Amino acid sequence: MKEIISVIRINKMNETKKVLSEAGYPSMTAKKVSGRGKKMSNVEVLSNLIDNGDLNTFEHQVVESITEKDRMLPKIMFTMVVADEDVKNIVDLIIETNQTGSMGDGKIFVCDVEDAIRVRTSEHELNAI
Amino acid sequence: MKMIRAIVRPEKTSVILGELLDAGFPAATKIDVVGRGKQRGIKIGNVHYDELPKAMLMMVVNDEDKDDVIKIIMKNAKTGSEGSFGDGKIFITTVEDAYTISSGENIL
Repeated sequence: MKEIISVIRINKMNETKKVLSEAGYPSMTAKKVSGRGKKMSNVEVLSNLIDNGDLNTFEHQVVESITEKDRMLPKIMFTMVVADEDVKNIVDLIIETNQTGSMGDGKIFVCDVEDAIRVRTSEHELNAI
Repeated sequence: MKMIRAIVRPEKTSVILGELLDAGFPAATKIDVVGRGKQRGIKIGNVHYDELPKAMLMMVVNDEDKDDVIKIIMKNAKTGSEGSFGDGKIFITTVEDAYTISSGENIL
């Protein structure tokens, strides 16, 4: 069994849910989180733009709002525990649904799970998921 | 790759995240959680609190960066020189695979 942990954009959640349940993987746990990635805005460039650039009020507001370099963005994190052979399929589906090609699309992590137990029946491992 | 999940005091997160950024580890996810530890929560007067608010920082790093990240979190999550109950815990697990959605690549 593997656990698939993905962090995605909030507005892609509905589509991802739909695609995954249509493909036969309905079970998941989702949570609103805040996060940041490897790529961040270059504060120097932005402050130069504010000082020297010919910006209108709106552009100025936008530029100013992204100068804070360690700001965290709201994301959705969801985890699913699935059988080994389904991992590839699910990862491909998530990438296909969530890819816009620009940064901030998110990450997918795959971890091993030793055991899973269904509380209602005490079933173990694959019977439980 | 290793996943580092650190449960820390919520008021310490901005310091920790700032230090991690300066050390070259910008990527992190923050989750608000409640929890209790070995001390079974805290008792103030007659009231017993066992759902104490904490923040969970989740990051996935390369194996060789693991120790640096742990050191930074440890240093900045401590309260006082000796540390005190409720400063939190750090858990490390193995991540087998990581994908970047924007490029679809199989890399961290």
